[in-house]
Amino acid sequence: MQKDGAGRSWGLGQHRCMELQLGLALPPPPLIPIETFDLNSYGNYETREALGTNALSWPLLKLGPADNDINNIHHHNSSSSSSSSGGGAGCKKRSFDEAPFFDEKRNVPKTLHLLLWTNQPNDEDDDPSNVLHENSSSAIFKNDGEGLVGWPPVKTWRKKVHHQIPNGGAENNRLPAVENGIGGRASKSTYVKVKMEGVPIARKIDLSVHHSFEGLTNTLMRMFGISDGNRKSFKLTYQDREGDWLLAEDVPWRTFIRSLKCLKLIRSRG
Amino acid sequence: MQKKMAYSFPDEVLEHVFSFIQSDKDRNAVSLVCKSWYEIERWCRRKVFIGNCYAVSPRMVIRRFPEVRSIKLKGKPHFADFNLVPDGWGGYVLPWIAEMAGAYPWLEEIRLKRMVVTDESLELIAKSFKNFKVLVLFSCEGFSTDGLAAIAASCKNLRELDLRESEVDDLSGHWLAHFPETCTSLVSLNISCLRSDEVSFSALERLVGRCPNLRSLRLNRAVTLDKIANILRRAPQLVDFGTGYYAAELQPDVFSNLAGAFSSCKELKSLSGFWDVVPAYLPALYSICPRLTSLNLSYATIQSPDLIKLVSHCPRLQRLLVLDYVEDSGLEELASSCKDLQELRVFPSDPFGAEPNVSLTEQGLVAVSLGCPKLRSVLYFCRRMSNAALVTIAQNRPNLTRFRLCIIEPKTPDYLTLEPLDVGFGAIVEHCKDLSRLSLSGLLTDHVFEYIGTYGKKLEMLSVAFAGDSDLGLHHVLSGCESLRKLEIRDCPFGDKALLANAAKLETMRSLWMSSCAVSFGACKLLGQKMPKLNVEVIDETEPPDSRPESCPVDKLYIYRSVAGPRFDMPPFVWTMDEAVRILH
Repeated sequence: MQKDGAGRSWGLGQHRCMELQLGLALPPPPLIPIETFDLNSYGNYETREALGTNALSWPLLKLGPADNDINNIHHHNSSSSSSSSGGGAGCKKRSFDEAPFFDEKRNVPKTLHLLLWTNQPNDEDDDPSNVLHENSSSAIFKNDGEGLVGWPPVKTWRKKVHHQIPNGGAENNRLPAVENGIGGRASKSTYVKVKMEGVPIARKIDLSVHHSFEGLTNTLMRMFGISDGNRKSFKLTYQDREGDWLLAEDVPWRTFIRSLKCLKLIRSRG
Repeated sequence: MQKKMAYSFPDEVLEHVFSFIQSDKDRNAVSLVCKSWYEIERWCRRKVFIGNCYAVSPRMVIRRFPEVRSIKLKGKPHFADFNLVPDGWGGYVLPWIAEMAGAYPWLEEIRLKRMVVTDESLELIAKSFKNFKVLVLFSCEGFSTDGLAAIAASCKNLRELDLRESEVDDLSGHWLAHFPETCTSLVSLNISCLRSDEVSFSALERLVGRCPNLRSLRLNRAVTLDKIANILRRAPQLVDFGTGYYAAELQPDVFSNLAGAFSSCKELKSLSGFWDVVPAYLPALYSICPRLTSLNLSYATIQSPDLIKLVSHCPRLQRLLVLDYVEDSGLEELASSCKDLQELRVFPSDPFGAEPNVSLTEQGLVAVSLGCPKLRSVLYFCRRMSNAALVTIAQNRPNLTRFRLCIIEPKTPDYLTLEPLDVGFGAIVEHCKDLSRLSLSGLLTDHVFEYIGTYGKKLEMLSVAFAGDSDLGLHHVLSGCESLRKLEIRDCPFGDKALLANAAKLETMRSLWMSSCAVSFGACKLLGQKMPKLNVEVIDETEPPDSRPESCPVDKLYIYRSVAGPRFDMPPFVWTMDEAVRILH
């Protein structure tokens, strides 16, 4: 198979820059008939095996792993069948010192040729991925305990609104409740985690809209779908900053708000 | 060599014809026809869009287009949204305002995105443009409510003040009172980003009451639920409304007041805000739900059953932004109720949690792709994905134009087969022929980039993270994606080779961002040296790049084409690879 889907646009790349058209006049590759790569076969879970094998033999580009050499693709002479397995991982030494990708006739600065590794010392003994690993540990964990910087890609704005309390958040003293009306400090968080006994998924509740146990309990009942009749069989407990679990109704509202870290609804016995 | 035109249209006629041509692309094409068209066009161009404020200088713009009335500028690269661009990198609007103050006294509209706007800039705007009408500050920062007060006070014909997602130093809510009593021209006011509780509500009410053309009003979080009814009654003509806190103790009179106020807004089509929702108050919206086309519940921590109930009342919904509390069940309901849906964004409620906290998987997205024939734009955060699901989505929805998938844990494979997700994303680019924006995630090898390079011919923006095996991946993209304008990459093993081999491609793109990759300092220098029309910036906050061997990879790299040459407002941690400038430093 001679065609090379990428080759057509290789070096051409940008249709806007007329002057960069390749003089090599590669014939446009025939359109790949659908049958050779039938994504329809991947539609069902039953054909997972097909998925498994076909995924690795992408017929379009002849990326034989043995000589995962750009030049093969470029010169269209890769008649090797797709014996590819494992993708491009084996590529360690790639020589770009063949003829330039861009034809001489193109109106590009001559100096562009210097970009093609003829003059570079062969310092690519390092697998590029190794280089990444050397740096990745510092790059990825730069943010000291918070994990990756900027990942997941959620806007800062959104993160601030949903102030997430880390699991078992001992290190961050995220004091939750701020009384309603105290405004605008950027790092204020009024959300508290609430768990109900027997329910695996925790919820979050904004304490600043509540001013009494009554209101808070009403919201919690609604949140967990507890009917009025069943209300009596639940007690509201909270964990304070010292880590102790206390009954909410034992303390005044203000004390509760100031010292609580998270809430739990437990079934009352008896 | 110029041919004399066989016909002679007076310039005024051509100008009149050109006035019907609004799109930038068409205008640019017109200006290339011949010299006289270039001249006529440039004198009558009223709107300019500059996608990268450093690609051109204010003076160049002013020189070419002397009669501009409306300008749109973008500053920082997109990854700045995720804290990857250090503070102080740049994107200052003041130099632009300063130049335009003199050159465009009749400027009416300024729209900025990801730029640093100071109070000084705002004051200068207020002072310089007598007919100023529209100020949109999208994801901007650096200014306070003092600057806003200046705008409010001076701009007699202000129509739009939109501060969406900007960071404002909220010194005082009284800036709103600076709108004079004579100001009745407001059409759009978006103050949703203001954090303070101190927004002067009475001033706001009066302002809303005296602006009969107000169509869009987005309040900030501090405005409590009980105040909504009053505001709405003063502006029943609203088309777009953003609430504040949508939570309060349930009280029947408050509820009925609210429901009545909403139902009096016969034009209301778009709702947002909804910080902290009490579900009991959602039925107050039911009267307007049948007309709703856009709903932003992405701050609302309401659970799936309540979301389902709400969404099932909104058959005309075209745009939905929601948290993953919606769960697969909610999305299935969405798929069956909202056949007009064009855009869906599902945000993570607990992005940093190790375990899933909600039952939202790839199934939800598959359901929507099946049930919503007009779906074009997707942003989806989830914790698992499979090639089969992606292929199904691609086959169901070949009309997708934007597909951004974020699987929260980097390098997550297909959860069924444990293979990379190359084939799935390959199906997306193959089937969705008009795909213009794509964000990848999950376990991906160089293969996915082959697919993208082969099929992604209309792809304009690509975001890549933790993907690929080698330079080949990047090479496929740079050599294959003909329409590529913006490429942003983080934490991928892409190095010098692909970049240098495709150097010319970079001049056809707006910008390339690479961080935590394997591009060496030497390669950056080479690029900077050989490509004068590119600004190559190396960003490193820890130490200067030349204090290490040239073969060491740089931390962050930002390359963009520019006719303005290297900039001189860089902070100490940004180095330009422009040789002349570098040597001077």
